[in-house]
Amino acid sequence: MLRAFRIALVALAVVGLLAPATPAADKIRVVATIPDLKALTEEVGGKLVDVEALARGNQNAHELEIRPSLMLKLRRADLLIENGLELDSWADVAVQGANNPNIVRGAPGRIDVSRGIQVLEVPSTRVDRSLGDVHPLGNPHYSLDPGMAPIITQNIVDGLGRFAPEHRAEFEKNRQAFLARLDEAMARWTRSLEPIKGARVVVYHPQWIYILTRFGLSQAATLEDRPGIPASPAHLTRVIRQMKDERIKVLIVEPWNDLKLATRVADEAGAKAVVLASMVGGVKGADSYIGAIDHNVNALAQALR
Amino acid sequence: MRVSTMLVALLCLALTPALAAAQDPASLRREIEQLQKQLQSVTERLQRLEAQPPAPSAPPPAAAPAPSPGPAAGAPPTAPPSAADLLRPRQPFALYQQRGSGQLLFDMGIAGDFVGNITSGNVERAGGGTFAGQENRFFPREVELSLFGQIDPYASAVVRIEAGEEARGAATGVHLAEAHLTLLTLPYGTQARLGQMRNRFGYSNEVHEHDLPWVDRPNVMRNFFGGEGLQEKGMEVTLVPDLPFYIEALAGIFNGDNETAFGRTSLRHPLATGRLRTFFEFGDEHALQVGMSVASGQTAEKNQSTILGWEGRYKYRPDGWLHPLITLTGEALYSMRKADVGVDQDGDGAIDVIDKRQRNHFGWYTGLEVQPFRRWAGGVRYDWSQYPENPGREWSVEPYLTFWPSEFLRFRVAYKYTDRSPQTRDAFNLNDASARKLDEILFQASFILGAHPAHPF
Repeated sequence: MLRAFRIALVALAVVGLLAPATPAADKIRVVATIPDLKALTEEVGGKLVDVEALARGNQNAHELEIRPSLMLKLRRADLLIENGLELDSWADVAVQGANNPNIVRGAPGRIDVSRGIQVLEVPSTRVDRSLGDVHPLGNPHYSLDPGMAPIITQNIVDGLGRFAPEHRAEFEKNRQAFLARLDEAMARWTRSLEPIKGARVVVYHPQWIYILTRFGLSQAATLEDRPGIPASPAHLTRVIRQMKDERIKVLIVEPWNDLKLATRVADEAGAKAVVLASMVGGVKGADSYIGAIDHNVNALAQALR
Repeated sequence: MRVSTMLVALLCLALTPALAAAQDPASLRREIEQLQKQLQSVTERLQRLEAQPPAPSAPPPAAAPAPSPGPAAGAPPTAPPSAADLLRPRQPFALYQQRGSGQLLFDMGIAGDFVGNITSGNVERAGGGTFAGQENRFFPREVELSLFGQIDPYASAVVRIEAGEEARGAATGVHLAEAHLTLLTLPYGTQARLGQMRNRFGYSNEVHEHDLPWVDRPNVMRNFFGGEGLQEKGMEVTLVPDLPFYIEALAGIFNGDNETAFGRTSLRHPLATGRLRTFFEFGDEHALQVGMSVASGQTAEKNQSTILGWEGRYKYRPDGWLHPLITLTGEALYSMRKADVGVDQDGDGAIDVIDKRQRNHFGWYTGLEVQPFRRWAGGVRYDWSQYPENPGREWSVEPYLTFWPSEFLRFRVAYKYTDRSPQTRDAFNLNDASARKLDEILFQASFILGAHPAHPF
């Protein structure tokens, strides 16, 4: 039995060592932790980059299961683009299993795009887990606020430009073209949400504060008892009462959260549960960055009218 | 010549302000007027900008600072502490406070794991329960302080200090559970880990007690490696080749301190380990990890001991679920070791020679867990194991139920039935009692304070 085991071990090792490595592609191999950053990197990098995302759009980006398939994606990456603010700190475990020195923490290939973001909900008092799964560095869900895209894409240009300085001008050109399209869309979104400015909504998980603030809406309550803590019946009763009292018409729910519970609460309160794309690809039709925000703005405008 | 040139240059530099002062007053006036115009233009532009509605592409509360150009660029550097500052007595976290919250240079967390069990008095007297010597008790099995983070751009480190009640009613002992560094930037897809560590042998050996998906470590792991599993001091190197599929190869050299399986405790006769693992995904919903491991060294009696391991772990996670619905785990171990056996050659009842006999023994377990709700999971584990040196075998079945009030708190209760074969009569029999067949109720409360790294598959 030992001999058979040794033979198998040696055979696998030989296959592993001798098998031809993946041919080096001309494109820059980029891995983004979440689909929003993949979409924005594709806008900036254009044909010069080949981008993969670790999380899928309909997953909860807070707690990703670290599968070896993620390590395989990272094994070949030239650059890793991360959201930061502890949203995707799970990426460290995947990076450790990938044995790729290009993207370990501190390497030039590691790009944290939260640099320069005006972070909201930064705790100003002592925080601990009695407040739930709070983010001590502030709310990390800035990427679906289109107003943050200029900063995020600037960080991406900087990161790509460090890796391939000869293409920096092209990255910047792509970025400007994307921002021009985004500005047009922004005017459309602003017009669309202008009539419902000031409306209050309930959210399942507190990850919509950036986009709500951007368009003059506000968050009245969360369906989660506290971030990451499933709601107790008493909390649900309180939320339903608040929604009725304040005549709140919309409960925003993420594609990965419990839609049945959200629908039940919304029905009880005479409101509507609306599924928004918490990341690009989170719902059907939200396949690009602008497409995801289009979906979210249209869904909000329709539900709040 | 060179000296005279330098003197001329210095003279020019010294005279420059004097020359400037001697400029024509008319020219100075012109410059001032030009500056006034520029200031006026900037002021007007600023007023225009302030009067405008916020630009659509600006961040909501205020204009954010421009991103820094490079990875090294961050917050503006603060003045370094002076020598007097450094000499002044300070609180342990004074430097941390200077850097501001969230800027501690490594993460720390505490995991607490309390377990209890209820069984018959007979099993307690025999000392043959799952927590041998701790029958019918509730005790801290493992309270672990973890410190982990980057050492520098090239390496990371983990230090875990554990406390737990190791014997019935004894004072809680504190010991170093793990302390290792990982070199992250080695070439050719390799990494090296050095120090004291839980060996990456199979699936469950690397998992700490509080992270196990069951209350107790599987029987075969405890029988073949001891209650704590395989923990060694030495070095491991992993290789992840650049292939279209994931495969990780590991090789390690250790002291061989594990007394149950090895015990030679010397690098002159080291414990060598190896592991290969790979991973298959069938769509987004199905995932399977398989691997095999080997650990080969010498026992304290200088006999060769080799343990082979096979592992498999399958998860089914319906699309969009936050947790797997079904998890199936299994491991099998095969132990081959030489053992010293006294032989009575002439039949006089006295041992005449010590003979080396081959002892090959086997054990395995498999566990199925179903988690239909985020907070609740139920499962069952079946164990079958021989003993690496002694005759006999045991099997057990352990259904359990797990409840998570939150991500950081977990309660688990299990029932475990164990049946040991008659050949084990010379073991599990302290105080003239017997623990051949036993029923146990096991329970567990675990919590996490602070940081805890994500769990691998």
